[in-house]
Amino acid sequence: MPEKSKKRVGIFSLTCDEGCSIMLTEIFNKKLVGWLEKMELVYFLAVKNHTDFHNLDIALVEGVVTSKKDREMIEKIRKNTKVLIAMGMCAMTALPSGQRNNFNIGQLKEIEGHLEKYDFLPKALALKEAVKVDDEIMGCPIDEEKFVGVFEKYL
Amino acid sequence: MHKCNLDVEISKLSKIEGHADLDIKIRDGKLEEVNLKVMENVRFFNQAAVGMNANAVPQLVSRICGTCSIAHLTGCIEAVEKTLGILPSEQTMLLRKLTVYSMMIRDHALHLYFFVMPDMLGIDSLLDVPDDKHDLIHDALAVKEAGNNLSELVAGRAVHAPFEQVGGFSREIDAAKVPEIVTQLKNIRPTVLKLIDIFANCDWKFERKTNFVALVTPDFSFLEGKIKSSDGKEIEEKDYWDHLHQVVLPYSQAAGFDFDGKEYMVGALARLNLNKKNLHKSTKRDAAKYLAKFPSENVYDNNLAQAIEILHSIDHSVEILEKNKFVKESPAKPAKLSGKGAGAIEAPRGTLYYALEIEEGKAKSLKLVIPTAQNLVNMKKDVEQIVSGLCATGTDKEELEKKIIFEVSKLIRAYDPCMSCASHFLRVRWK
Repeated sequence: MPEKSKKRVGIFSLTCDEGCSIMLTEIFNKKLVGWLEKMELVYFLAVKNHTDFHNLDIALVEGVVTSKKDREMIEKIRKNTKVLIAMGMCAMTALPSGQRNNFNIGQLKEIEGHLEKYDFLPKALALKEAVKVDDEIMGCPIDEEKFVGVFEKYL
Repeated sequence: MHKCNLDVEISKLSKIEGHADLDIKIRDGKLEEVNLKVMENVRFFNQAAVGMNANAVPQLVSRICGTCSIAHLTGCIEAVEKTLGILPSEQTMLLRKLTVYSMMIRDHALHLYFFVMPDMLGIDSLLDVPDDKHDLIHDALAVKEAGNNLSELVAGRAVHAPFEQVGGFSREIDAAKVPEIVTQLKNIRPTVLKLIDIFANCDWKFERKTNFVALVTPDFSFLEGKIKSSDGKEIEEKDYWDHLHQVVLPYSQAAGFDFDGKEYMVGALARLNLNKKNLHKSTKRDAAKYLAKFPSENVYDNNLAQAIEILHSIDHSVEILEKNKFVKESPAKPAKLSGKGAGAIEAPRGTLYYALEIEEGKAKSLKLVIPTAQNLVNMKKDVEQIVSGLCATGTDKEELEKKIIFEVSKLIRAYDPCMSCASHFLRVRWK
């Protein structure tokens, strides 16, 4: 049942290893029970199938915008959330997916067929290169204290 | 029987690691095609590693996977060491066992409680669990936390562990913290026995004759041993690649593999089928009645096998921590700076193989074989058998679609697939 007073939170993974999501499930070990009194987790594919991401208060996004699909997804998230937080170094810097941005001609030749076949963007982008980002959480994976500090500001 | 035409599309399968889609095509009431599509975007680690200092490659490939980063780190370290003739000390091997156990505890717990349990309880998410079963959320968090804290103690962190390095660990264990970690591990033991019992009483069943492959280790520590298969093969870790053949899956960003020409399954079920005799003695004592189920061909027993592996990981970790004093050591030195080598370990989802070529300390080539990629062909064939079976029941179209989605998602989850990992493979030449 939707509860009006609770913040609607979505957790999203673009291109990455989902290490920040995993770290987040570890941060949950101590924090989840308390946070659930203030938030409703409406999108988090790692733990639930039923998903709804309209009217979000907070979107936590990990990963890199490397393909057209990623770009469509981040634009859709941006349209549907009040606050968008980039979570971890992938989202902040585009690495390591952005390794390919600095490949030499030989390396690029090896991957060009794949890039074309799966609609990759010419360059892998950090979130702020694709949409407006309201806040960032450093670390690879996210640092627990920094996450709690930033997240609780908006909760 | 209804001769229906039906296209089932599952987009972004939930409660697995990473992104996968599944398309199923039914014509005239018969299964025509199953396409299992790994949708995880490739990040080109193989290419990026070339030219890097070999000692730095393990921390890079750790970023292939969030949940089993410790497996990539450890597997790649082993390959670097074997390539350069580095012999890790006895203490380093014990610390590595603890590090891998800490991963198994929290990774298996995440899968069993958060990914599988909701299907058993008929709910969408563990977070929606009814009040009378609320203890399961607390159990899940307590078991994961014990694993997470063991990772922190030994390796610095559960994800992208900083202390585990080529040749040894960069920090010693803080002895003052050991008793607390041991107590915590002992405290979750009854919870894990309860978890084992839950999965032993689960009546899900799916069987199809297949081959099981695993690295068989003398103390079930996932690190050093011989690769064995249920059809009787026994090979050295370094020769594993010679027995694998890549199978291209259309529309997928990952490729599959077969082993000596046959599809096969890797993971906890394969390990228990091939190596249950080497589990820790306390695990064998307290899980005896559940262990009688193995060898098993029921794919859903992969869940039970994971639960038993959590218990083993606790029992062996407690023994290592209680029996040893850890001292400061300097890293083991390389015997040479160039060469070719390979190593295999057991990751949570199965056998993980790394091969490297190093020239004057720099990586010249890198190849890896990921557990989920090895399971893809087997998984696809299982899905085909399930869907064919459901089609033959003559259920009406709407009901059939619902059943296919539920049963197929449930089966795929039992494999605990990791799509972030699966998209990393050798080179495939398109066109």
